[in-house]
Amino acid sequence: MTENEHFGEKEAIAHVVEKQVEGIVALSESHGTEMPGHLSAGADAARETAILLFVLWTLLDATSLKMGMVAAILVSFGLGLLVWKAGRSAWLGWTRLERLHRVIEQERHEIEHNREQEREELTALYAAKGFEGKLLEDVIDVLMSDNDRLLKVMLEEELGLTLQAYEHPLKQCVGAFVGALFALLILAFFFLLLPSYGALLATAITLSIATVVSAVYEKNQVMPALVWNLAIGGIAFGVAYFVMHMFL
Amino acid sequence: MTQFFSSIHTDTDLFEPFFDSGMEESISPFLTPSSRRWGKNVTLKASVFAAVLLLFSFALSFFPQSGASSDLLLLFTYFFAGVPALISALDDLKRLEINIDVLMVLAAFLSVFLGSGKEGGLLLVLFSFSSAMEQAVSTRAKGAIRSLKKLSPRFAYVVQADGTLLARSVRDVSPGTLIQVKAGGVIPLDGVVVSGRSSINLVHITGENLPVVCEKGDAVQAGGSNLEGSLTISVTHTNSDSTIARIIRLISSAQETKPKLQRWFDRVTNRYAMSIIALSFFFALSIPFFSPLGFLGKEGSIYRALAFLIAASPCALILAMPIAYLSAISSCARQGILLKGGVTLDALARCKTVAMDKTGTLTEGKLSCVTAPSGKPLEIAFALEQHVDHPIAKAVCLFAKNQRLQPAQISDFKSIAGSGIEGIYQGEKVYMGNAKWIGGMLGKELAQTEGNETHAFLLIEKNLYLFSFKDMIRKEALQTVKNLQEKRKMEVVMLTGDHEASAKAVAKEAHLKSYHANLMPEDKLRYIIENENLVMIGDGINDAPALTQATVGIAMGKNGTDTAISAADIVLLQDNIDKLDWLLEKADHCGKIVKQNVTIAGAAICFATLPALLGYIPLWLAVLLHEGGTVIVGLNALRLLRK
Repeated sequence: MTENEHFGEKEAIAHVVEKQVEGIVALSESHGTEMPGHLSAGADAARETAILLFVLWTLLDATSLKMGMVAAILVSFGLGLLVWKAGRSAWLGWTRLERLHRVIEQERHEIEHNREQEREELTALYAAKGFEGKLLEDVIDVLMSDNDRLLKVMLEEELGLTLQAYEHPLKQCVGAFVGALFALLILAFFFLLLPSYGALLATAITLSIATVVSAVYEKNQVMPALVWNLAIGGIAFGVAYFVMHMFL
Repeated sequence: MTQFFSSIHTDTDLFEPFFDSGMEESISPFLTPSSRRWGKNVTLKASVFAAVLLLFSFALSFFPQSGASSDLLLLFTYFFAGVPALISALDDLKRLEINIDVLMVLAAFLSVFLGSGKEGGLLLVLFSFSSAMEQAVSTRAKGAIRSLKKLSPRFAYVVQADGTLLARSVRDVSPGTLIQVKAGGVIPLDGVVVSGRSSINLVHITGENLPVVCEKGDAVQAGGSNLEGSLTISVTHTNSDSTIARIIRLISSAQETKPKLQRWFDRVTNRYAMSIIALSFFFALSIPFFSPLGFLGKEGSIYRALAFLIAASPCALILAMPIAYLSAISSCARQGILLKGGVTLDALARCKTVAMDKTGTLTEGKLSCVTAPSGKPLEIAFALEQHVDHPIAKAVCLFAKNQRLQPAQISDFKSIAGSGIEGIYQGEKVYMGNAKWIGGMLGKELAQTEGNETHAFLLIEKNLYLFSFKDMIRKEALQTVKNLQEKRKMEVVMLTGDHEASAKAVAKEAHLKSYHANLMPEDKLRYIIENENLVMIGDGINDAPALTQATVGIAMGKNGTDTAISAADIVLLQDNIDKLDWLLEKADHCGKIVKQNVTIAGAAICFATLPALLGYIPLWLAVLLHEGGTVIVGLNALRLLRK
């Protein structure tokens, strides 16, 4: 590969920036938070299961179905959703892992086959950090002497990736399964206890717990997070409820 | 600079094992260490889970009110065992390959349409277990190369024009470059010594633990351990052409060419799969033209063709053979013999020749002191040698300790790289070292070796004391060689990297009729290639290519190197070479059982397929015959569990 082919007629630093963007895309969390993957998946699954079951209950409540049938539909739908959430979470984890593995393989190939270009990228990176002259040369020499160290530096500094940071997809899957199961059990319990308001109460409890756990882990303010999430849940319920009544 | 780079910590175990494993997710550098265990043996876990689900589904199917639950569990069985199988089959089809896997998956999924979903589930679970086993074997095969790569450093200290040292990746060091290897370091690249003198342990090439002295002009190989002095080396080969790279290439190519039996099996089963699929299509399309049957319905040609395809799927074969092998493997494990695959036993039963490495296999692999002076000279030698980490030093210390001696009081101890050691005892200088060094002091020539014995000399004032060392033959090895040669009429040959005189002496002592000395790893490999149906037994890195290429490679588990253990098919966990005779008998027995099973399974397929196609028996009876054959061969295989 020639220098032009490697950099695509860009300056070394422009190439580095482009790579950083690629890294950030590869890094993007499938559940959009910075929590450990399994907890994030669990909280997310609990919230979604709770709100979907609640909206379904709202729609079923407007029909003349018997309570036993409503319960059967809710449980069946809930279990199907549970499997979907767990399986989907694992799949997303594996997709991200595959993407990251592709990136690391490509970077390793470049380190082994385009050493001069990698040296230039490294020089541009460390010059941007303020290194210059003999010190810069020494830094590059030290980094280039060990391929594993070089790969780690390139992944973290050039691509902006974080190593040893993600949970295994199966662990994430179990997190999602537990979260969805929790939401389903809470709903079933309160629905049987208070058929009229149980679903509303169960949804509020699940949303609150999932939101508090997320906010604590992310070190966000708990109260605004709680209010916002309950409000979003409320408006989702409101839309379903009133639109349904427009058709009745 | 060091402080700055302390933040860029490199975990050498982060990337190398990951890439060497073919980017296995259980060791992905992106996963948290605590969650990596979730990725271990995923295929096996999925297979076990699917098998449990299938079992429950089968049990629930006996209760009419649990029909939906049974079907739900069966659905999950198809999900966990079927989806990976389907992806694998589609991959094969994409490459225009129609093999036994495609047939199995096709039969399994089509069986749902004939109301035999559980039989299809069973096929998928078996398929899943077979994939898990295949994966485990391939992971182990990569272990040999991984352990070899760990042997040599990733960077070399290059001597710059101003005399300073600069660490550079071995990939960036070209021939002619001067590098320095400090005492205790490992030689990173092949080269020639330009200055310095030291003892180098080349066990990975010669298999011999006794270090060799290297000085100016001597060639040294990558992977050698520099025991004493500092050496400056002029590099002669690039990293990709070094001795380690060469051994890696030898092992890789041996791994690729080895499974002849597997290739034959694949060829036969691929033809079988293609024939069955083609015949099914043929029957489905042609039966209505020469019989009153139509295409559709329970008596239609498509239904009959599907019944034929399912009944012809080699369920009994797939199940019966692994059970036979697993029983034999389990029986061997109880004897301290680890088998890396059942097919190994078939190959072992065919072998007519046993090739044994010398050091560490036929012998104990460590030097023992056989001649030494008694009293004060031995105490002085003990005192000198206890400061050194050298096989001869260890032998002297052990010998003295066994005599319940205490080391003499020695001062001003000094190690002379590649020569020996000196110190002061009661105001007089004392020396202990090799023949060249001590002989030089006395102005006369001394013999360093005699037969398979190595000498060291102690000089006190003008008195010279001789120490002789020998790598003793294992007692159990003598009986094993006798049994193999006399009872089983096998040819036993010794292959060694050691010199002719030593090899001859050991061969004579072990009553071996044939031996080959001065063999490099590639020479041993050549011998293995030239001789078919051969068992190779070894323990060293230098044996690894031969162990990989041999019909059956057996490694010593206790004294053996990681590379040899990974390269071999069988590991004697306690170096119990005396079990070789028992193992060969077990292999014979296993071969007989497998043959019986193949016959029974083949007959079961024949009895199930043709009548099903002709409509003489209903599908459920065809499946019953099919499964009945499976049970019989399974029970037959369990006989191998006995001692």
